[in-house]
Amino acid sequence: MQSYWFGDVDGDACTPLAGDAVARARRVRSLRTTMDGFVPLDWKNAITCEAVGSREEYLSALRELCFAAAEQEIREQYAGKDTELLQMVRTLDGMDEVINLLSERVAEWHQVRHPTFSRKYHRTPAHVLVRSISQRGRGALGKVALQVEQLAAARTDLAKEVSARANQVMPNTSALIGGLVAARLMSHAGGLLPLSRLPASAIQVLGARTALFAHLRTQSPSPKHGIIFQHRRVHNAPKERRGKVARALAGKLAIAARLDYFRGVPVPEFLDRAQERIDSLGKGDEP
Amino acid sequence: MIRIGDVLVSHGEGGVYGERMLAGARVWDPFRSKLAALYYAGTGVELTPGMRVLYLGAANGTTVSHVADYVEVVYAVEFAPRPMQDLLEVARRRKNLVPIMADASRPEQYAPLVEAVDLIYQDVAQPDQAAILVRNCAFLRPGGQAILMLKTRSVDVRKTPEEVFRETIAGLAAAGLEIVESVWLSQFHQDHAAIVCTKHPVGVSHE
Repeated sequence: MQSYWFGDVDGDACTPLAGDAVARARRVRSLRTTMDGFVPLDWKNAITCEAVGSREEYLSALRELCFAAAEQEIREQYAGKDTELLQMVRTLDGMDEVINLLSERVAEWHQVRHPTFSRKYHRTPAHVLVRSISQRGRGALGKVALQVEQLAAARTDLAKEVSARANQVMPNTSALIGGLVAARLMSHAGGLLPLSRLPASAIQVLGARTALFAHLRTQSPSPKHGIIFQHRRVHNAPKERRGKVARALAGKLAIAARLDYFRGVPVPEFLDRAQERIDSLGKGDEP
Repeated sequence: MIRIGDVLVSHGEGGVYGERMLAGARVWDPFRSKLAALYYAGTGVELTPGMRVLYLGAANGTTVSHVADYVEVVYAVEFAPRPMQDLLEVARRRKNLVPIMADASRPEQYAPLVEAVDLIYQDVAQPDQAAILVRNCAFLRPGGQAILMLKTRSVDVRKTPEEVFRETIAGLAAAGLEIVESVWLSQFHQDHAAIVCTKHPVGVSHE
């Protein structure tokens, strides 16, 4: 007997399949066909089966089923909690780039308009300068500066949302390294599943691609850390111990990512021990 | 194949991907579509109105839409959700296009949906490209034809494209397919080749 989308065919006999396109689609996805000695279906069987009356009807019924199946499948794939977080982090990084670029451009433009203006000795952060330009600048310059300011405000909101979402989606990783950095790690790996499959050594240098390939190709020293440098225990550690801290942190992150993917809930016993280990290395209690 | 002057075209509703129109027909650009490149660089397989086609690796439905203009029905297999959204949109407007969301390397996933076909077009760029085609030959009617778009760089970057090409042809022949035509598409797509083969009718000797 062979099972096809419209029913089960056994020699000349055929048992039609009941239900609408969605129900049929679900059944087709549950079928386990083997390809050994497989005989492709003959559409005329569908007529014998009284599922359809003509070739047109056959194709239109099959199409309806395929659309239903594909829509189900797409919805399921997008339902993974990390899919939206991935888009959010990438948008955030894109916004950072645009805001920095435009702030610099606006400052340069402002400087040309005011020949006596200089940023030397003022230590004015870019966003403060942009705000003052947006208040006083005339014409397009003022408008662009205002847009940059609003973009920066939207960026702050988005960063909060990313962090909050990361705490839900990857609670263990976020607890170790903070929501924002956890989300960045996930984005670099391409998702929570790929991240959970990475070895600790790869997580350690995620985001240090240029340095890593320079190391592999030439004699330059290997990178000690990538994105995880943003963790305070790594960047605050004395230079000679940074590599060691980064290595330990990456090891714990690899475990955390797997816990996040397979359990999805915070695991306090693990977090406490991991935190303790990273802190002790960062403070240099251990040789 | 339909040509206006030297230009390959297909008749159907335009605007699928911003393609150029020529005398009411859709221009099929060899620089965008590898199948179109095959029709420019070699002979390929003549698409006829009665044909049933299994298209593996349909992506956003660009090339598929042209194939659908020529034949009776196209079963278009695509795995990734993002291009599938586009493919569904194309299929909504082309009634002879059956979109199937499945992994082309696992034909058992869509075996209950696909009938015997006259042509298989394999454009999934994977290291086991040829094996994917061979596995799908279960759907090919005896005497039917298959086109493999060989992206040599996806198979093995350490070997030269020529080596990959030779090994693939040998592999397909060993799987019982007769090689009808093999051409490089270098003028349109770098390191790509097209291989056209035929499945022998049962009982016909391979010699």
